[in-house]
Amino acid sequence: MKKILPPEELARDSRFVRLSMEDRFSDRRSPGGGGSTSGRTGPTKLTPDAPQAPDRARALMHGIFVGEIQALEGAGRTCWDFEVGPHFDEVPFALKLDMARQCWDEARHCEISIKLSEWMGTELGEFAESTFLYEAACNPDPVLRLTGVNRALEGLAIDVFNTMREFGQSAGDPVLEFCEDWMLADEVTHVKMGSDWLRRITEKDPDRRERALEFQRVVDKLFSLGGFRGEDDDSPIRLARKFREMAGFTHEEVDEISDLSKQARAEGEARLAQANAS
Amino acid sequence: MADSKKPRPAFAPWDRRELPGMFDVEETARRVGHYKWVEMRLFEALGGWVATVPELDVKLRLGTHCYKHAWHADLWNKRLPELREMNTERLTVPPNDEFVTFMDAITEPEGPDQTLEKLVGVYRVLIPHKIAAYTYHLNNTSTITDAPTMRSLRFVLNDEFEDWRDGEMLIQSLITDEADVQRAATHQARCEGLIVKAGGIAGPGSIGSTDVAVPEEVTA
Ligand SMILES: [Fe+2]
Ligand SMILES: [Fe+2]
Repeated sequence: MKKILPPEELARDSRFVRLSMEDRFSDRRSPGGGGSTSGRTGPTKLTPDAPQAPDRARALMHGIFVGEIQALEGAGRTCWDFEVGPHFDEVPFALKLDMARQCWDEARHCEISIKLSEWMGTELGEFAESTFLYEAACNPDPVLRLTGVNRALEGLAIDVFNTMREFGQSAGDPVLEFCEDWMLADEVTHVKMGSDWLRRITEKDPDRRERALEFQRVVDKLFSLGGFRGEDDDSPIRLARKFREMAGFTHEEVDEISDLSKQARAEGEARLAQANAS
Repeated sequence: MADSKKPRPAFAPWDRRELPGMFDVEETARRVGHYKWVEMRLFEALGGWVATVPELDVKLRLGTHCYKHAWHADLWNKRLPELREMNTERLTVPPNDEFVTFMDAITEPEGPDQTLEKLVGVYRVLIPHKIAAYTYHLNNTSTITDAPTMRSLRFVLNDEFEDWRDGEMLIQSLITDEADVQRAATHQARCEGLIVKAGGIAGPGSIGSTDVAVPEEVTA
């Protein structure tokens, strides 16, 4: 078995359909995709009384499901791709154990999101899949990989699960709330793994730490697209400050993501205004 | 109530634990080092395979089993210093080159159309051999001096039995015609041949020896 499996080789059964990142964000059925309503440009906050709320919740849950598959695959590949050792392209034994633990957690998250999707009336493969999450898990530098996946993407998972948990509360869906609560606990653990390993491995290598944090910024920026995630009241996905800090983010680091989101929202609005004017 | 000052035996009548055992500290450490090596290779391969299997149920089982073998590797890694091996990497080795060849064959299938080979190698060859070697160790070590290894062996064996059953059921569900039967049997025979050459997961003596000393007059 080779090291570093490219995203196009991810194995799926015939139900699954692939979609590019750009297509995903313009797909009305994708979480964060779709047109504008209630005066806000870009995606809108998911509330039980929002237009098309059930369909959007189903799309978001399916997006979570495929994200969980890729998180499982990414953690699994990290177990395989790197040998144990002290060199640049090697990892500590305990890091691999953490990744194996994450495999188990993500497998359970897949199971949970499959059950929830069925509960919501969704068929697997009903919505398209993009491989953005797994792509970050192909970085050949284990520190960059862990920072991009476990801090940026799993950090996004914290925001998403916290938002969905609140949605479950307000929609009076105790099963959704229960499941999101448990998955949120696991994701805090995964983000903490990323934060801890970043600090430990780059303790004496500030350049590598900065490269890893820069990679995280790139991934974070990508997922702040159009202000999809932020701290505004109408942000579709709310930045979960408390849980991120629990998982090893500093207050300043959360501020930085919040600023990125504001910037992305402003850019999105400017693009839309320009498109409307022309 | 019984008189609390009345002398009692240190070993209760139902406690049949015995001294000595078959393995000294050095031999136990050697075996435990091989166990850690194989558990590591196994959890790495299961993790790597997750992305390569299209069958959703298999994908999720491999992700779950991956963790269990990593946990076993961690148990053995923690046991090594307790067996006077402070540099745990020194004994984290395969028993011989033949066993490396065997593990290479187990982890060789990669394509999305090779799920059957992946599962057969692990669940019909490797895991049964692990169960055999761990059981031999459990049944032959000193029940007094080596109780910590026995405790780990019991946890590990419980996982191995459960995972073997999961894997075997997945295999049975994937084998639907005579061609599949042949595919599974061919790969199993190849892997079995290689592990026989290696002598098992801890090398020759993995499950002891069945040779008996026969008096000369009988053989003549
Ligand atoms: Fe997850
Ligand atoms: Fe996660």
